[in-house]
Amino acid sequence: MRKFLAKNAPGYIFLTPWLIGFFVLAIGPILISFYLSFTKYDIASPPKFTGLDNFDYMLFWDDRFWQSLKVTFAFVFLSVPGTLIFALAVAMALDKGIRAIGIYRALFYLPSILGGSIAVAILWRQLFSNNGVVNSFLALFGIQGPYWLSDPNYSLYTLVVLAIWQFGSPMLIFLAGLRAIPTELYEAAEIDAAGPVRKFFSITLPLLAPVMFFNLVLQMIEAFKTFNSAFIISDGRGNPLDSLLFFTLYLYNEAFSYFRMGYASALAWVLLLIIAAFTAVAFASSRYWVHYESDRG
Amino acid sequence: MAGVSLNSVIKRYGMVEAIHGIDLEVNDGEFLVLVGPSGCGKSTLLRMIAGLEEITDGTISIGGRIVNDVPAAQRDLSMVFQSYALYPHMDVHKNLAFGLTNLKMPKPEIKRRVEEAARILQIGDLMHRKPRQLSGGQKQRVAIGRAIVREPQLFLFDEPLSNLDAELRVQMRVELAGLYTRLGTTMIYVTHDQTEAMTMATRIAVLSEGNLEQLGTPYELYNFPQNRFVATFIGSPKMNMLDVHASGGGVDLEDFGRLDLNTAVPDGPLVVGIRPGQLILGEGGDVSTGGEISLVEYLGSEMFVHVRLASGRVMMVQAPGNSRHQIGDQVRLGIHRTEAHYFDANGLRVPLFDDRASN
Amino acid sequence: MADALPLQNPNATTAEIAQSLRDIRERKKRRANLLRHLFLIICSFVMVYPLLWLLASSLKPDAEIFGNLSLWPTNFDWANYSEGWNALVVSFTQFFWNSTLITVLAVIGNVISASFTAYAFARLEFAGKNFWFALMMMTLMIPYHIVLIPQYILFLKMGWVDTYLPLIVPRFLATDAFFIFLMVQFFRQLPRELDEAAMIDGCSPFKIYWAIILPLSVPAMATAAIFSFIGIWQDFLPPLVYLNDVKDYTVPLALRMFSSQDSVSLYGPMFAMSVLSIIPIFFFFVVFQRLIVQGIAMSGLK
Ligand SMILES: Nc1ncnc2c1ncn2[C@@H]1O[C@H](COP(=O)(O)OP(=O)(O)OP(=O)(O)O)[C@@H](O)[C@H]1O
Ligand SMILES: [Mg+2]
Repeated sequence: MRKFLAKNAPGYIFLTPWLIGFFVLAIGPILISFYLSFTKYDIASPPKFTGLDNFDYMLFWDDRFWQSLKVTFAFVFLSVPGTLIFALAVAMALDKGIRAIGIYRALFYLPSILGGSIAVAILWRQLFSNNGVVNSFLALFGIQGPYWLSDPNYSLYTLVVLAIWQFGSPMLIFLAGLRAIPTELYEAAEIDAAGPVRKFFSITLPLLAPVMFFNLVLQMIEAFKTFNSAFIISDGRGNPLDSLLFFTLYLYNEAFSYFRMGYASALAWVLLLIIAAFTAVAFASSRYWVHYESDRG
Repeated sequence: MAGVSLNSVIKRYGMVEAIHGIDLEVNDGEFLVLVGPSGCGKSTLLRMIAGLEEITDGTISIGGRIVNDVPAAQRDLSMVFQSYALYPHMDVHKNLAFGLTNLKMPKPEIKRRVEEAARILQIGDLMHRKPRQLSGGQKQRVAIGRAIVREPQLFLFDEPLSNLDAELRVQMRVELAGLYTRLGTTMIYVTHDQTEAMTMATRIAVLSEGNLEQLGTPYELYNFPQNRFVATFIGSPKMNMLDVHASGGGVDLEDFGRLDLNTAVPDGPLVVGIRPGQLILGEGGDVSTGGEISLVEYLGSEMFVHVRLASGRVMMVQAPGNSRHQIGDQVRLGIHRTEAHYFDANGLRVPLFDDRASN
Repeated sequence: MADALPLQNPNATTAEIAQSLRDIRERKKRRANLLRHLFLIICSFVMVYPLLWLLASSLKPDAEIFGNLSLWPTNFDWANYSEGWNALVVSFTQFFWNSTLITVLAVIGNVISASFTAYAFARLEFAGKNFWFALMMMTLMIPYHIVLIPQYILFLKMGWVDTYLPLIVPRFLATDAFFIFLMVQFFRQLPRELDEAAMIDGCSPFKIYWAIILPLSVPAMATAAIFSFIGIWQDFLPPLVYLNDVKDYTVPLALRMFSSQDSVSLYGPMFAMSVLSIIPIFFFFVVFQRLIVQGIAMSGLK
């Protein structure tokens, strides 16, 4: 017994802060949230158990729930591929000893760091305002730009562009991945008379698959969690006409504007399940397209 | 100073047993070398003695005290690692003094010991350098210095010289031997370099796949290997091994013909092992045969001659460096029945002529 | 084609042919490189343009801001800065102080607690380690929104709402798994034999953490500190939920007050304060760029 303690005590002592945090601020809340999702709770009075009412309402009566799902999915499916394509294209342009790579890298990465800030969200609102920078630029070519922020058909694109603008961190990860591909492989392909397209599809892409996978999962989770910029650009409510009603935004408003904590918890669980499902699908599918170095032996 | 004794020590990693119950008695003041092929468990054994690895079963005692549950720091030993493991952020002086300050030793005593170690190892003018500013040999010295300042009753070395180039290795080997003579402390030394083992050890323990194959002085190991494994492992180049059948007090050798052993030997399979230095190149021996030289490895003071016999078997023979042998030469090869090792079907030594050879 | 001539000329020496082949390759390479630079320069200009426009607009009078693509104000108008600083009911002195206080404490908490946890996972052996590690990695995926509501209720019951405690205390409990992961990756690279040598030298696990691992992990600690600084400084949702009194607001909350006021005359000052709000981040980015880039690569790969 004493031996057991002596062996395990140091590990658990160092782990204590995390363990407390894990139980009190992660697992505990998740379980409580699970319970709350079956209740009606406005904080002022104790939670009232209502069975599946929240979910019933959500799935069959709540148009805004479906709207928020639609907005979020559209955003994820537009912004994630866009971000990854840009990230990969720029990473490839930067790979293999180009001069001034440090400066380029810094310039491309800078937006990633600032992207979540309120300052940038505010800036974005102005860029896309009716007589903002974007429309002024289009006017140079005689194009009458749309009302980006007040037209529900266009509003989401402002956020997609903002997301793609932040391709810096997947780019850095791609860059590290490209560095890890041995140049001999390219040389061998060259001797086999493979053109640049061939080289990209038969060497770069397959060898980059693990990195691509990592970036995909990370970007997807990030995209589902988008909040700050959506909040600012849509006046905190998903305007115009709920076209920017991101799931997180809807959840926030249910919880902290209307104090429907039970319903908001149900929404939170849906978000968790969606993210978990997407991550699981990504992992399950990775067997078919991601081959790690060690697999090949 | 203290002896070390291991009693049926077993180490398991999960389901895999890496050490299969080893008994080993290391005498006080002895320089014991652990040798064996890669992966045989040398490091594991050493690390269990150090207290860095838990013992699955059995007991280890140091200086008569069972230390199974004693933490490494309280076993009164020092260890020198293959990678030196010098603290990269401390200068040489701090590296040496670190363990002593942990023991809350008085400052003047620390100073005395560090200076003493610096003097012995001639690293006095490196005291304020960081490890990365040292050469391999200097790092090695500092690592040894860190071990000796603690004045422990036991030193452990895990392949301390294997990261050095050949020349430095020979030099450090001599210095280590000198250090041992000077301190007289018990040392346990892991290596896979035979020369290190043979030259430095008072006794050698040969390990193979987690078993102790033989424990003995270098002389015993070389001249009386207790089994086939030790016979082929110790000695370079390797012993020639001939699988034969014993009958009627003699054996029938391929190429050489019948060799009468003139002593009682049970009928059955037998292995005759002859070191390259025991074979006779030229006329002589109790039996002999002819062959053709297929390769000559010239080393200066000696040469190793590969002789292909009629059956196609190649035997390796040692010859003086000044002899003239060339590929394609026809030569004769002879065997003395007493200049050979005999092993039974289980690979264990059959002590036919041991009493004669030991004279 | 002129450069093909020596190749076709039967009298050309091998040296001449080799030279012309080399020339062709060299020229091709230079052209490709030029194209690459052109592409990158255009891209980086597009990337940085919005930020430059923000900076320029913060120096323009309101009338000049809209419908104007120029990155150069006709005359530099610093008034936006002084006006913006005091445009809200509480001065930005207070907001910056609040943000600084919260950020500094939270960063300290993050680095200490994450390094503790990472040390346990990377260097110590204990029962259930793999189990806890898997759980820790799983929390990387959990969206903040799901724990937000119960945490809010908890902190409300504890009377912590409208204080900075909900923004700081969780940081001391290693709630951000990303930093744990980052440090685990780093610690694992340090040779094990260092710990073992220190163990023999009489160090407890605490002393090893303190005297060996920490001093050797300065780059990782700095990287974690910078990343958490950047994140926490820009934090929006937690302060939005927990802080109601304008006096307590952080800089992002204050900026949001600007944007929701929508009084047309305040664009210049709003941009000015936006610029100020990102200057600390920009500064850290410029100074620690290398660490940041390495940090991303390290957490992303291997
Ligand atoms: N932590 C571990 N987990 C599982 N197996 C291990 C572990 N450490 C060692 N082993 C196994 O135990 C056996 C003995 O390893 P050990 O390191 O002692 O060999 P060694 O004799 O020192 O070899 P080398 O000469 O290569 O250093 C090996 O088969 C090894 O794979
Ligand atoms: Mg070893």
